[in-house]
Amino acid sequence: MRIGVYFCRCGGIISEKIREEAVRAGLAAVAADLHVAAFDFLCSEEGKGFLAQDLREHGVERVVIGACSPREHESTFRRVLTGAGLNPFLLQMANVREQIAWVTDGEGEATAKAVRYLRAAVRRVSLHQPLLKKEIAVCPEVLVIGGGPAGLKAALTIAQAGRKAIVVEKSPIIGGLPVRYEELFPTLECGPCMLEPVLDEVLHGEAAANIELLTLAEVTGLKGFYGNFTATIRRRPRYVDGTACIGCLQCAEACPASAANPFNYGLSERKAISVPFDGALPNVPFIEPGLCLHLSGEECRACREACPLEGTIRLDEGEELLELQAGAVVVATGAGLYDSRAIPGLGHGILPGVHTAAEFERLLAANGPTGGELAIGAGEGPGTVAIVHCVGSLDPAHREYCSGICCQVAFKFNQLIRKKVPGTRIVHLFREIVVAGKEDSFLYHQARQDEDTVFCRYPEIGALGIRLEDGRMVIEIRHQGGTETIAADLVVLCPAVVPAEGSGELASLLETPLDRWGFFEEMHGRVDPVQSKVKGIYLAGSCQGPMDIRQAMGQGLAAAGAILSRLVPGRRLELPPITAVVAADRCSGCGVCQGLCPFKAMTFDPERRVAAVSEVLCQGCGTCVAACPAGAITGNHFTDAAITAEIEALLS
Amino acid sequence: MTEPAFEPRIIGFLCNWCSYAGADKAGAAQVPYPPHVHFVRVMCTGRIDPHFVLQAFAQGADGVVILACHPGDCHYKEGNLRALQRHRLLLRLLGQLGIGEERCRFDYVSAAEGDKLAAVVGDLVKMIRAAGPLPVRPEQEIGRD
Ligand code: FES
Repeated sequence: MRIGVYFCRCGGIISEKIREEAVRAGLAAVAADLHVAAFDFLCSEEGKGFLAQDLREHGVERVVIGACSPREHESTFRRVLTGAGLNPFLLQMANVREQIAWVTDGEGEATAKAVRYLRAAVRRVSLHQPLLKKEIAVCPEVLVIGGGPAGLKAALTIAQAGRKAIVVEKSPIIGGLPVRYEELFPTLECGPCMLEPVLDEVLHGEAAANIELLTLAEVTGLKGFYGNFTATIRRRPRYVDGTACIGCLQCAEACPASAANPFNYGLSERKAISVPFDGALPNVPFIEPGLCLHLSGEECRACREACPLEGTIRLDEGEELLELQAGAVVVATGAGLYDSRAIPGLGHGILPGVHTAAEFERLLAANGPTGGELAIGAGEGPGTVAIVHCVGSLDPAHREYCSGICCQVAFKFNQLIRKKVPGTRIVHLFREIVVAGKEDSFLYHQARQDEDTVFCRYPEIGALGIRLEDGRMVIEIRHQGGTETIAADLVVLCPAVVPAEGSGELASLLETPLDRWGFFEEMHGRVDPVQSKVKGIYLAGSCQGPMDIRQAMGQGLAAAGAILSRLVPGRRLELPPITAVVAADRCSGCGVCQGLCPFKAMTFDPERRVAAVSEVLCQGCGTCVAACPAGAITGNHFTDAAITAEIEALLS
Repeated sequence: MTEPAFEPRIIGFLCNWCSYAGADKAGAAQVPYPPHVHFVRVMCTGRIDPHFVLQAFAQGADGVVILACHPGDCHYKEGNLRALQRHRLLLRLLGQLGIGEERCRFDYVSAAEGDKLAAVVGDLVKMIRAAGPLPVRPEQEIGRD
């Protein structure tokens, strides 16, 4: 085997410290068939040309390069090997610049260490195996879980690229939480006006044909891996044919059954067949089976009789189980609000005048329970609204983080209350005020300049107590030096943003980890912010943490971009070959590796009773290799033989 | 004639992503450390089989150092944790072989911590210089199956 050793002088940087001739002499007896050459800058175009030609001319079969760190130029030189007709993994670099020339005192010591490094590399490279990148075919379709801003933006972007996206939304409508808000921070833009075009685009736009929208649907299983997932989806019946319905809502008018409307947080009623609120999309009513008399076994068919289009209401519709293929998954399931009933002193759910921000949004909305009419006070003079910031935030007993959006919401309320009921006194009770960003301080400054708005800092949420007195809410703030009381007609609580209900179940079903707060965890929060810890599963929006619409849309766009650039139809998935390999005949099936693998790449073949590696999921860390008690797992390119040879040569 | 001063030989196992990059950083900043410190690159410290360490001692190392990404920073999520667990167990075995725990170190070095890398290996060398060469070498075959 002819091994070529190439010594890069790095324009003198290396050769000033490490004597070339002594290196040549030191290598003389290491291997039988050694070819040694030196060059000034091996990484330059000229150097690479020299290397490629020299490899061919001298019939070199394995290559050692003594130069800079492999972290800098290993891939450069691997490409040169490929160009010269050699397998790129038949290369070993000796880091004689960063680890020797730059850090060793004395030429003699540096040269001797370089000889040891190069000898070790020669020994190691003689044990290298040629490795081949494998390729597999991929399914280019994308499954998006969640039909809020982030999910829809992702789906739309994918669809606009001519690719198919399947959106699975568990509620009957799309748009997520913001479609329930009439005006949005930071500019008080009309929410429906901003979001409806996006939703319309999804439902009826040019790319809509590429989007399959499944409402009232949930993912119940996910098998496979990046490039080739199989998802099972349960779809509950809507009982209304969405393709035929014209949205006249005569059915809802005729329906005799009603109950509290969860889309208005129980502040109004809805019929058993209804739309959640005016303007909800798709504009197709649905039947809540628990409320419907017919579905509860009674004779009623009022909706079907009222419907002008025969056959549109399908009371006999049943649940469906679907199986779909997808190459990638986007989790965009949104977030929820901290349950303020967990802070009993605030009286939420008990006192009539205490509402959460989400409820208050509905009270402000024209399509909400009061038609947007805001009643404050008993009519004698202007009333008072207290807005409590940081409910459950910045508090280790609840959530220690700041959600970063609640202050904006609170100052938006300030403006809207002012507009709807002029003269109202507004009190902001806060622990901290956070309004960062170029557009974001506008509403805050407005509130600060407002004559009828006051600010009051409270020490911690436990120091607040709210009680009912003569029809008004009395807020007690227990400061260190004494107690302050404020009477208000309405109290609005701004709770911390928390993971959406069901995140835990979804995470275990997708086998995608959550962070310590229960949000979906990114591969790397800053460098890889849309990739989950599982290859092929992407994250977008507030399922990752508190986020406003702008950030959620950005994340949706980014997730779509990542998928479009990585999962390309017709392009096969390249699998890097530095993975673990199980020798089935040595494996005892003990399962140690399976428990250790952080990427779920190790599976158990129940028939042969041995472990098997998924080359798609394996990232090549080698943890299983080191752990296998039977020595049945090989770490490609980092084999026991190669590493021990290197150790031995370094010490000889 | 005086005996040549004892210069301990060290093998360091460094993960590619943080600690090896930290060593590159020490290089770029030209922070010197003793010449008989040799680094073996693995993709993650989770790859370090305890038998590599025993092998190093058997082959003539006087000290071994394992340098990992800081907790939470491992490129493969938790390989550093595995390495830490294995290191703890290994220390017990080394003790039985008469190799003191000061000769086998585990530490965290990030890609930015070139100074720390040089300090850790410098300190190890200093301690072993004082302790002297490894009194007994383990059999080469220990740790093999
Ligand atoms: S990658 Fe550095 S310890 Fe795992």
